[in-house]
This record gives sequence, C-alpha cells and structure tokens, in this order.
Amino acid sequence: MYCYLYDEFIQGNKRYERELLDIENRLTDLGIAGKISRLALFRNAEEMIRDEIDRGVKTVVVLGNDDTIRKVLDVISESKIVLGLIPIGPKNELARLLGIPNGVEACDVLSARRIEQIDVGTINGRKFITGVRVPDFRAELMCNDGKYRVVPTSRADLEIQNLADICNPCDGMLSANIHSSVRKGWGPFARHEQTNSVLPFQFLAIRSDKPISLYADGEEMQGTRFDIGIEAMILKVIIGKSRVFI
Amino acid sequence: MAQQSSNETIIAQGVKVEGDFHSQGDVVIDGEVSGSIETTQALIIGESARIKADVTAKSAVVAGEVKGNIRASDRLELLATSVVQGDIETVNLSVASGAKVNGKITMGEMEKAE
Repeated sequence: MYCYLYDEFIQGNKRYERELLDIENRLTDLGIAGKISRLALFRNAEEMIRDEIDRGVKTVVVLGNDDTIRKVLDVISESKIVLGLIPIGPKNELARLLGIPNGVEACDVLSARRIEQIDVGTINGRKFITGVRVPDFRAELMCNDGKYRVVPTSRADLEIQNLADICNPCDGMLSANIHSSVRKGWGPFARHEQTNSVLPFQFLAIRSDKPISLYADGEEMQGTRFDIGIEAMILKVIIGKSRVFI
Repeated sequence: MAQQSSNETIIAQGVKVEGDFHSQGDVVIDGEVSGSIETTQALIIGESARIKADVTAKSAVVAGEVKGNIRASDRLELLATSVVQGDIETVNLSVASGAKVNGKITMGEMEKAE
C-alpha cells in the first residue's frame, strides 16, 4: 500500500500543476496509485506518516526535493517502511545519487520497485543520508572513542560522506574527507596545493572551542560539540538503475 | 561507478594525527603523526610525512621521516629519501641507496601484526 506525500511548495503552484497531473495519471496506469497526504504549514510530517503506517501503509513516496525528505527521514528510517521519491523542482541531489529521474519518469522507477537498504548517518541524534559539510574547518576530530585526534594544520574544509559519487552507503562506514590547502615553495614562488585526507569511521566527534556551523544534508546546525555516527542498513529506499553506488 | 575502498585511510599534508591510530585497511601518510600507528595491511609513508610514532604494519614502504620503531611482519622497503631513527624488525628488508637508518635491525620470522 502506497502513500504519496506532497510537499507544500508543489501544491497550488501553477508551475507544477501539469507535471503533477501527468504523475498522477502515470501512477494510475501503472497500478500503484495510493492515498495522497499533503504537507502544510502547521501539519507535522512525522505525525502524518505515523498515522499512515498505523493504517497499513508499507511505502511512502515523497513528492518534493531534498528538504522534503529531510522532514520525514527520522520517522521512515525508524519504522522500517520503504521510501520512494518523485523528485520535483530544483535541489534534488539525493534523487540523482539514487538514480531517480525527475518528474513523471520517476513513476516507472517506483513501479520497478528495486529496493536497497542503505546506511543512515546521525549527528547529535538527527539523521542524514548524503553527508555533513563543515566549511573552513578549525576544530578537532576525536576518532575511535578518543584514542586519536585529527587536526588540520592549514586552512581546510571537512566533508563527511555517507552517500556520494565516490562513497558506498551500504558498507556500514562513513568517510571523513579533509580538503586542505597547503602552501608549498618559498617567497614569491610559493603556491597553494590542495590535498585530500580520507578517514573511514563509524563514530567521530567534532570538538571546537568556538561555535561552528555545519550543514547536514544541507541543513545548517551550530554548536561546539557534534557526535557523528552511523546506523547501518536501516533505510529501505527505492533506487534506479543509474544510481551512483553498486 | 568509482567506489572508494571503504577501509583505506589517507592522511595527507595539512593534517596532523595525535594518539594511537589503528586501522584494518591500507594506510597512506603524507602528513604528521605522533603517538603510534598500527595496521593489519599495507602502510605507505610518503616523502613529506613526519612521523614521531612506533609503527606496526603487515608491509611498509617508507619515503619520509620516522622517529620511532618500525615493525613490519611481511616486508619493509626504505626508499632513498627515507630517514629512520629507531629500531627495525621485519622479515624482508629492502634499503635503497641514500636511505638513512639509525637503529638496530632485527630480521627473521616474527608474529603477524594483529
């Protein structure tokens, strides 16, 4: 049993009216039409999904973008139901990584129902799928229960990846990539070179004296302490043939 | 679909590691490490690496500077640019012309690195 969750920004928007109509027709043709739930300003997405699960829904299909998925990720991964996507509009990086085309073409991917279980990362208890980005990283990483710490010695950006073009989301590991800019040479001949450090891990802590900003799946978080971990294979998601991982 | 080997660790220039670093996969070091390094697989210490640590690996290739003991249960290769200040314990040893070693070298059968 399918439930289709429409994000607020696509409802009543002339730009997506025609596309939605085509999607609904295609879903009916494929025999996978289901109940439509609509997100609204004062409606809690998690509560709506819990109600649908109580009514026997086994697959929740999100119509929207990465922001929409973030609203429902916690409840879907906890309840072990299947997540499907129909990407609409801009900001659909996750759908691209999962090999799901935009708009009506996604209906055929849903119908094929190729399901993969993937890892989900957690940061201070909040879940993320793709990764965490820390621009201008000036803190320290405590790895392996504090047995060793990693500090950048020059200007660096930190990227923690779960699902990315070169990162497998089914291996039970996250990958911390530190992109540093290293000065080489002397005086007027000096130049900056980019280096990339890679640390696979299951648990990592970021500690900073001053508050830092980071972006988990594009959503900004601020603080001085972040605990990052992984929950292996907890999210069942419908994927397409052109996904970036094996 | 290029997939990153999930267990390979790279510590590049511009990054410093302090403490007891343990890995189950291959490790490449071009940055700074102090404490101890242990891997059950291959270790490559690049020319720009500065290590102040005891090193344990299955096999190791050293091109940089190591201040500490090196224990390679399978094979150790010291390249021409390498500088080792510490004892070496391995089964197979290769030393290139120009490599500097100040320490005791012990060769023969040894227990595998865990």
